[in-house]
Amino acid sequence: MSAPLLSVYDLYAGYQDFDILKGIDLEVHPGEIVCVIGPNGAGKSTVFKAIYGFVKVRQGAVRFDGQEITNARPRDVLNAGISIVPQLRSVFPQMTVMENLEMGMYLEKNQTRVRRRIQYILDLFPRLGERRAQMAGTMSGGEQRMLEIGRALMLEPKMVMMDEPSAGLAPLIIRTIFENIQRLNREIGLTVLMIEQNARQGLEASHRGYVLELGRNAYEGPARALLDNRDVRRAFLGGQ
Amino acid sequence: MDQFLQALVSGLLLGGFYAVMALGLSVIWGVMGVINLAHGEFLMIGAYMAWGLFRFFGLDPFASLLLILPLMFLVGYLLQIILINRIVERPYLMALLVTFGVSIALANTFKILFTSDPRNVPVVYNGSMQLVGITFPIVKTIIFFVALLSMICLQIFLQRSRLGKSIRATAQNKNAARIVGVDINRVYAITAGLCIALTAAAGAMISPTQAIFPFMGPPFTLKAFTITALGGLGRIPGALLGGIILGITEILVSTYVQGIGTNLGIVTSFALLVLILVLRPQGLLGGLRPLDAEAE
Repeated sequence: MSAPLLSVYDLYAGYQDFDILKGIDLEVHPGEIVCVIGPNGAGKSTVFKAIYGFVKVRQGAVRFDGQEITNARPRDVLNAGISIVPQLRSVFPQMTVMENLEMGMYLEKNQTRVRRRIQYILDLFPRLGERRAQMAGTMSGGEQRMLEIGRALMLEPKMVMMDEPSAGLAPLIIRTIFENIQRLNREIGLTVLMIEQNARQGLEASHRGYVLELGRNAYEGPARALLDNRDVRRAFLGGQ
Repeated sequence: MDQFLQALVSGLLLGGFYAVMALGLSVIWGVMGVINLAHGEFLMIGAYMAWGLFRFFGLDPFASLLLILPLMFLVGYLLQIILINRIVERPYLMALLVTFGVSIALANTFKILFTSDPRNVPVVYNGSMQLVGITFPIVKTIIFFVALLSMICLQIFLQRSRLGKSIRATAQNKNAARIVGVDINRVYAITAGLCIALTAAAGAMISPTQAIFPFMGPPFTLKAFTITALGGLGRIPGALLGGIILGITEILVSTYVQGIGTNLGIVTSFALLVLILVLRPQGLLGGLRPLDAEAE
């Protein structure tokens, strides 16, 4: 396998004096979809925030594409090539679909390049193309999530991090979102690191997975193997 | 009928001024969630600047805008970086206390510097002209058009420019703005600079029509608050509508209700505010809703 794009090594991070992550290891290789699952409070979201510079890393290292980005500011992480899709709604509700996409490339000053990229994204998501002039806040939850993903792709990131892409969506929409993530992975080789509460569907859409428990790695491996692992199934997938 | 028409026109002219006077409060509130209680004091500073430039350099108050705007932009920018950025993320009460403190400090500093004697800016064109039987006070008519022009410019800036879009984005979803790489603190500083410059400009523009003194600010803060409640947070068309409603109401009341005295404007404004808060606490145009819930 190729060298990892993202490697998180022995990560300790948390709020105030309290460590939520107690030595997490994690790797994402180019072209992979990796899913992080685990019960509430296992530290899934904190991994996300620690990589993105929203919480302080106390020990360990985050390396991305040969660059050290431990405790980097969100803007620098973005410049290094990681875009994020946060869990809570993050569209600009009173801006059009076009303007939202434009904001995704806020760091790029060349407007010709921005317009070309918007066209590329609208071709990738025909649904957004149909609604280009609509205010983002008036679209359905699933459409807003697609817009968030489209916006995250604006800067041609090397990897997209998604915090619970299925959160707050109806089952049918969740399937569409995961199908789209897989399609982007196939068509444009998009590398994805996602955190999922919806463990089974998240793993089914992924190549590899990590199971976190109480801030530590509990299991890891190919997604298929985790789905078939009896212990993982019993403890984390709610299955038999 | 003539009296009514005259009242409508006077109210409209006053409303244009009110709109531009209130915008600073409304935009700062909308973008960063801070209610600036020192709003009226920045208007007072603008009026004093116009007075000083007129009195000592013979500069026309409208010409002095070219100096006042950039200078007060800088004041707002620095105030935001030094003081307000530290409290933006804190609970509401903090911002209220701090800006209230700024308001008291500014008014009293000006009292020490210039005493509380009222000052005037007696421009030569402070008369009026007749048009189809209606009286147009010249200064107020100029103010109306300058106000309209500056609101159009501001609207285009917010809608079209990259910086304007980043200000709107920050107002709509702070966290999302951050993740696409917007430097929030810089956006706040620029917003504060623009708003305070605009407020001071409003003060400079009315300097020929009213007495200038250190404690002239609070009634304007109250009126700006009323207009924001009427028109919604950070919305320019809303501010224009709110300003015109307040302007016309004030003039109509003072035309038809005799012998209440000069503080009538404040009474009207307060009554209107109470009425809105009771009937439509979310604002007349539904724009007073709290900002988007902040993601952790």
